[in-house]
Amino acid sequence: MTATACPGPGRTSEVIDPDLVSLTITLKLAAVTTFILFLIGTPLAWWLARTRHVAGFLVEPLVALPIVLPPTVLGFYLLILFSPNSGFGKAWASLTGSTLAFTFEGLVIGSVIYSLPFYVQPLQVAFSGVKQDLLDAAATLGAGPVDRFINIVAPVCRSGFVVAGTLAFAHTVGEFGIVLMIGGNISGETRVLSIALFDHVETLEYGRAHLMAAGLLVFSFTLLLIVYTLNRWQTGRSSSLGSGS
Amino acid sequence: MEISADIHLTRHPDFVLDVEMTVQPQGITALYGSSGSGKSTLLRLLAGLERGTRKDRIEITSGKTVWQSEQIFVPPERRGIGFVFQQQQLFPHLSVQGNLDFALSRQHTEQNLEVNQVYDWLNLHSLLDKEISQLSGGEAQRVAIARVLLNGAKCIFMDEPLGSIDSPSRSRILPYLDRLHRNLQIPMVYVSHSYEEITYLADHLFVLDNGKITSQGSMLELCSSIELNSGEGDAAAVVIQCTVAKHDLDYRLSELDFEGANIFVNAEQYQVGDSLRVRIPAKDVSITTTRPGNSSILNILEVQIVSFEENSGPSVLVRLRRNKQFVLARITKKSLNLLDLQPGQTVYAQIKSVALLMESIDD
Repeated sequence: MTATACPGPGRTSEVIDPDLVSLTITLKLAAVTTFILFLIGTPLAWWLARTRHVAGFLVEPLVALPIVLPPTVLGFYLLILFSPNSGFGKAWASLTGSTLAFTFEGLVIGSVIYSLPFYVQPLQVAFSGVKQDLLDAAATLGAGPVDRFINIVAPVCRSGFVVAGTLAFAHTVGEFGIVLMIGGNISGETRVLSIALFDHVETLEYGRAHLMAAGLLVFSFTLLLIVYTLNRWQTGRSSSLGSGS
Repeated sequence: MEISADIHLTRHPDFVLDVEMTVQPQGITALYGSSGSGKSTLLRLLAGLERGTRKDRIEITSGKTVWQSEQIFVPPERRGIGFVFQQQQLFPHLSVQGNLDFALSRQHTEQNLEVNQVYDWLNLHSLLDKEISQLSGGEAQRVAIARVLLNGAKCIFMDEPLGSIDSPSRSRILPYLDRLHRNLQIPMVYVSHSYEEITYLADHLFVLDNGKITSQGSMLELCSSIELNSGEGDAAAVVIQCTVAKHDLDYRLSELDFEGANIFVNAEQYQVGDSLRVRIPAKDVSITTTRPGNSSILNILEVQIVSFEENSGPSVLVRLRRNKQFVLARITKKSLNLLDLQPGQTVYAQIKSVALLMESIDD
């Protein structure tokens, strides 16, 4: 249960503060993850919000799984998947010439899966709130499916996108267990803030640990404040819209 | 644009929509029936907003274009139609102007409707900068109608457009619909459960009951049918179409021409030559066998008895004809027997009250 399960904490002499490097990696990971989730999570959320297909009943709990599953379980299976012995790992290795485990790319894949429900669920709720009649109205006005999504659904669900993106970003920043399993603790490559914090505590650098913990705390609180303020604003707005029509 | 439909659709085990119909290429075609009669489902099928399942047989054509058959389904955005919903479905993230621009930038046809003309008709100039949440129900519906007009629809479908609007605003918006009816060549299909709205607006009528068309034809003829009115009690009424012949400014009365006879009514807001509809409640019509002299009642028509209502109540409806139009009278069974009224007989209908259907719009 310690970071020693992975390649040892690199104490290489670097000019730049290693904590700043960790911060950069963390933000980069969260940004890339959120962007990928925007690309694949958005259509998934739309499909889940609209489908009456049986498959929806299966996919929905599957998407939610990372919320309840211990990150180590997910990490373990990913590690197996990433291994050059698995089909996926082999294919990746022949394509890129490297393995996924203990790399930034591996972390991205893990984070996308791990943060998927935090992106998809709020967006799915927002999408479900778009009345079919509103889309029908747009259709009869000559707007095709893509036009309807871009010009009606997206702007109507704007705050849903902000909430989903914020949660996915914050959740990725706060990730620990899965990083430990598949990313390890390679400075400058996979050592994110939460791992660095763990290291500081292990080595009794409480001053640094305090700084980092407080920073993450304030960051997370601020993001959640934004999310909940948006939620309230959206609820107030939609109820006033309802009474108007 | 003439739309034909042959539909056999099963919804749950207990509801079947079984309809074969052709929408007239001109004027307002009304689909009338109680809730659950299938009229809204029929309209949504025509628009392509519903498409049934593989077990249903749905064939819809517009002129020579097939909209739906076993192999073909043209989605609503490519049918060139407009749809006005009960809840207006204006886009909440856009202003009134934004909603109208949305329609203008996606026109079905090269429209020759003047934008300003449409704003005038629907009295929209003062609303353009407003947010959707600031509109009253009636205002929102006017915007929704304008949105459809500016979109260049070749046929306009309206699904209970006044259903979500409180009744004072409803009587204010009906004249706008009537104004469109007078000014536009675009056919409309109008769904309503309100007999009053239908009589205001419709030219052609399909009556639906439990998924089937029970009667169809010209509204003016059907609205005088005893079948449609016998359940209505004191609300039984006919609508007749008249033309303004002249105004008598001294008495503030206008003389309307009704099938060669005169009807006097206060209609000074209309111009000579305007055609307008007048509602005559059956309970306000009495029958005499000789022309009454010295009566305070101005409106007396020479008519022919067509038929009687057959029931056992104390009063009966009598259907009376003048040329191509009809009037209903509700009289007691006792009078019927005392006067010995017979079909084919010429009698005089005394009309105590006449109501103009349409108030004018205060622009």
